Amino acid sequence: MSYAPRNIDLEPAIADLRNRTLSRLPCAFSRLVYLASSRDLSTGRYSHDGLAFHFSENVASKAMAACHTEIFDWLLFCSLEELVVELRKYISSTEVRPGDVLRSWKHLGSYRVTIPSECDKLAAEIFTSNVKIALEILQTRQESAL
Amino acid sequence: MSQWLPYLFLGLLLLAVLAWWVWDAIVHRSTAEVLTPRQNRLSARTVGSQRDLGERIFGTQDWDFVLHEAPSEIQRMFQRERTVLALAWLRRTRIRTSKVMRSHVVAARQSEDVQIVMEIKLALSYLLFLILCKSLIGWVWLCGPIRTRKIVRRTLQWLASQRAAFDRLMAAVDPANHKALETGCDQETAQS
Repeated sequence: MSYAPRNIDLEPAIADLRNRTLSRLPCAFSRLVYLASSRDLSTGRYSHDGLAFHFSENVASKAMAACHTEIFDWLLFCSLEELVVELRKYISSTEVRPGDVLRSWKHLGSYRVTIPSECDKLAAEIFTSNVKIALEILQTRQESAL
Repeated sequence: MSQWLPYLFLGLLLLAVLAWWVWDAIVHRSTAEVLTPRQNRLSARTVGSQRDLGERIFGTQDWDFVLHEAPSEIQRMFQRERTVLALAWLRRTRIRTSKVMRSHVVAARQSEDVQIVMEIKLALSYLLFLILCKSLIGWVWLCGPIRTRKIVRRTLQWLASQRAAFDRLMAAVDPANHKALETGCDQETAQS
């Protein structure tokens, strides 16, 4: 019974997050990185001041976790071709040189931090593997373009 | 007569391996392991668990893309990566079913109303499942998931039809464990 009010609160919070924040980001990968970086790695809780002000910290965190899961799921099941496009869009949306981003992501494996906390182990492995291959493809394309 | 001896020996060896698999998978496990899926069943919905990861791994779309868009180095890397994932998926599928089967065996041992014919049918279905799963693991390990995707797909389709029969048997013999099989036994998370 205690779950009902929470779920009623959650849907508007998710809609608010989608409409006001996530829709302004250029691609799914940007949204994934944004949500993952809003998460406290020690506690697994997400923070969003605006959302917490309108709803509550708890609801804001849950709404962000739900959106994180949804976007991750989409990227997990999209084709490798789409993932390459998404990654390319994300890299060009950053203010860093694409070559530097590619090198840093490959060496540091920074994309691992974008995996949601409650992620199936094999799903996480599939995602990591796909991103690794997508990064290789993008680097090859970049090298051949030079 | 002596020309048949190698075949006879191979046949006996195969039977011994099969018997060992069944023994190892059904009987030779601790109760603690058997209880694990029941505890994990309570865990929340996890990412990627709702859709078929097997389809994602064995799908041909990504391979077609890599084949046309990437150099041979990346093609080899893709094959290596997918082999690892395919083996992990096959092993997990086998382990999940084995956990359900083992908990069924524990329940059956404590039950006073064991239906022998049903139990034998269940054991044979399970044995067949194990043989196929092990064979697929061998195939994928040897040739990779791309070359074996057709055989894997066909075997999985056949397994799905067999699973329906296995489900019916489990539902009749052990409704509690049948539910565990339906909902998925364990939800291993990346953070665990």
